[in-house]
Amino acid sequence: MISRLVTFTTAALLSCVSAAVFASATIGAAAPAFSLTDSNGKPHALADYKGKVVVLEWNNPDCPFVRKHYGSGNMQKQQAEATAAGAVWLTINSGASGKQGDLDGAGANAYIAKVGAKQTAYLLDADGKVGHLFGAKTTPHMFVIDKDGVLRYMGGIDSIASTDADDLAKATQYVPQALAELATGKAVSVPTAQPYGCSVKYGG
Amino acid sequence: MDAMRLIPAIMIVLLACSPSAQAKRAAARDENHVAVSLISEQTALVPGKTAWLGIVLKHQPHWHTYWVNPGDSGLPTKLHWQLPPGFKAGDIAWPAPQRFSAGEVYNFGYAGQVLLPVPVEVAADAKPGSMARLIVEAKWLVCREECIPGKATLKLSLPVASAASPDRRSSKLFAGARAAQPQSAAWSADARLNGDRIDAVLHGTDLPPAAGLDAFTAQMRVLACAPPQVSQDGDTLHLSFAKSEYFAAPPATLELVVVSGTPAQARSITAPFAATPAISSKP
Repeated sequence: MISRLVTFTTAALLSCVSAAVFASATIGAAAPAFSLTDSNGKPHALADYKGKVVVLEWNNPDCPFVRKHYGSGNMQKQQAEATAAGAVWLTINSGASGKQGDLDGAGANAYIAKVGAKQTAYLLDADGKVGHLFGAKTTPHMFVIDKDGVLRYMGGIDSIASTDADDLAKATQYVPQALAELATGKAVSVPTAQPYGCSVKYGG
Repeated sequence: MDAMRLIPAIMIVLLACSPSAQAKRAAARDENHVAVSLISEQTALVPGKTAWLGIVLKHQPHWHTYWVNPGDSGLPTKLHWQLPPGFKAGDIAWPAPQRFSAGEVYNFGYAGQVLLPVPVEVAADAKPGSMARLIVEAKWLVCREECIPGKATLKLSLPVASAASPDRRSSKLFAGARAAQPQSAAWSADARLNGDRIDAVLHGTDLPPAAGLDAFTAQMRVLACAPPQVSQDGDTLHLSFAKSEYFAAPPATLELVVVSGTPAQARSITAPFAATPAISSKP
């Protein structure tokens, strides 16, 4: 009995520790509040966008999975359509300084220009705080937050885990699907999907 | 994109300039961080029998490829076969994986040299004395911290014969791959949801020690990828896993691969999964 108690206590303690490392964003609950500076030095808080649907996209320009979606134009298309429909699209880079894909503001702006990205803003999260707050594990890793600040989608960008652009035509793109459903007042039919991609290059 | 296209072009130029075929292969291997080849366990294919083929992945130090469940990121190695009529390739018999961690991100896969064995049913009407050409397109993702996707088309021609003998060049690799296969354990087990954790209890008289034990599942969206908390109580092992953040629905069973010891011994166990938490484990 005692040994069992010790185990459960340990498990409880450890789950608290891991919760401190990676908070998990929860579908149907308020998305964690955050504020980050964009590639032009302008601050963006999630609270600023109450009343708008917000899409979060974790990015590392050098990750082959990210290149699949930018090289094919899939990401830019989703960004353009979402923002045209009134959503706010925030691309976030949680790569630590010196890690693959780490960008400063000028680097991010050059990247946006090069790939023709259409997001609302490119946010820099070099200390990984916001990445941890959302439990972002991969690039890309996608989140959709509704007009009331409630998390409605988290997970992979689509249904086929690969680095091949050839797979795009067969894959279900979960963010446009969630945005279309939210726009017509429907429940999001696929609220979570296994994220796939490179690991987010956190520091430490 | 242009830069990406340029890299293979540069590689080809470099390869063309290298002095020997051996150097060319070495250069390709260095660039890819993993050398990939197709081998056969036996010297011939016997009509109507199962032949074991395998993909050898020889990783550069610090680089790894992935298990069928790659963990928090990554991609499993995928094979697409082109075989003569009547031949049929099965799934990879995945050797038990190793755990890799980069900060709080966990992955499952292979470093060093690994053989991914694949059973191939030889057509019953294959003609002894003929040659069979076996072709596989292998796709993998090789990562250190950064990741590089790779692919190769591998070919092997083998004679069809009424009897076959082991190919001495590959027997050691296949023996190693067999030893790395999870062996079905004679333990009893059950698993249940416990808040944001999943607890598995294993009972048996030949349980491995809790120290150094690790456990994995090939099932996606069930367990989080962090290592389990393990404790032992006589003939009982308690394994407590964080629940996947992407847990969708309780599975009917939890399929565990339990790895322990040096050299690592892998056991597989199927635990019926109860979706309701145990009363005793409620706080």
